[in-house]
Amino acid sequence: MYNDKESQKIVDIIQNYARKHSLFILAYGTGCGAIEIPPTMTSRYDAERFGIRGSATPRQADVLLITGYLATKSLKRVIKVYEQMQDPKYVIGFGSCTINGGMYWDSYNTINVLDKYLPVDVYINGCMPRPEAVIAGFVKLQKLIQQGKADGWDIYKKNIDEYKANQKKIITNWVMPDFNF
Amino acid sequence: MSENKLNKEQLLLDLLKKKFILNESAVRRAKRVEVKVDPKEIIPVLLYAKENSRYISFAHMSCVDWIEDGEFEVVYILWNPEDKINLFVKTRISRDNGVLPNIDFIWRQANTYEREIREMFGIQFEGLVGRQEFILEDWEHMPPMRRDFDTAEFVKKTYFKRPGREDAKDVREFVQERTDEELPDFAKKYSRD
Repeated sequence: MYNDKESQKIVDIIQNYARKHSLFILAYGTGCGAIEIPPTMTSRYDAERFGIRGSATPRQADVLLITGYLATKSLKRVIKVYEQMQDPKYVIGFGSCTINGGMYWDSYNTINVLDKYLPVDVYINGCMPRPEAVIAGFVKLQKLIQQGKADGWDIYKKNIDEYKANQKKIITNWVMPDFNF
Repeated sequence: MSENKLNKEQLLLDLLKKKFILNESAVRRAKRVEVKVDPKEIIPVLLYAKENSRYISFAHMSCVDWIEDGEFEVVYILWNPEDKINLFVKTRISRDNGVLPNIDFIWRQANTYEREIREMFGIQFEGLVGRQEFILEDWEHMPPMRRDFDTAEFVKKTYFKRPGREDAKDVREFVQERTDEELPDFAKKYSRD
């Protein structure tokens, strides 16, 4: 349901409408999937029609795209980046590597299931997903935002202990400050 | 391939044979010469190839784990841009606490390769400068490219697994059936089951 007045207040509907039409992606390519972002952004597929565009820093961004495999080394940086972003923030898992490890399922230094470490709102399947699939994933995210269901950042706050335990299981030498609200 | 075409390769091999004690040497094919030497002969051979035979380019350096022989084989690949010939210099050292001479005073870029081999296989190089940690971060286990490092077991222990991929089959058995080749014993040891 798009404008469901019974479950959301009228303020939320307006707020969510504004949020879903200005999704700023953090330009941080973590894996090989980042190569699909330039065609998505430029004239051929032109994602800015949907209000999707890049941003320079984590503080300005709404969406964190995890484009492909995450090595344990880059997971550390991704967590750091995610915790710098301001609420509301969304995570899109991009490609089969983030879902179940993909072709790196038995690698000694890549994680397999992303949503154990970060709250993922939308997964885009494929290896690699084409720009059409990327845009479809974003449209799905926009629908969830409008319905008020894209609340991964809230889940992360509530289950912070569980997420931290999973993260620290892999990142043995934890030198970052702990996330506090 | 006629004999004449391998002149340059044979010439290099003869020069090296005259100068050094080679354990094994061969012209594998056009533009490829392989020699095997002892670890202590590495620096003289590389220096001779660089200064006298114009093998000025250090193309690659890699390592092979011969777990059956208990040895590591380190391969130095040199390139002569004038004659367009690759020279493979191979040497073998013991798998446990083997030490190789450091060659980064001959080619500076060798430092990077040596640090990678040190991290991935645990081979020590004499007097190698550079941080112990190269690509891996906070690695506390066995060097991961050694063949006795059980990657599947490590992944099972460390990472989460999403259900739904249990039907993934071991390809080696399929290949064995198709090609009628016996699966070697060391491969059976690391099978998925």
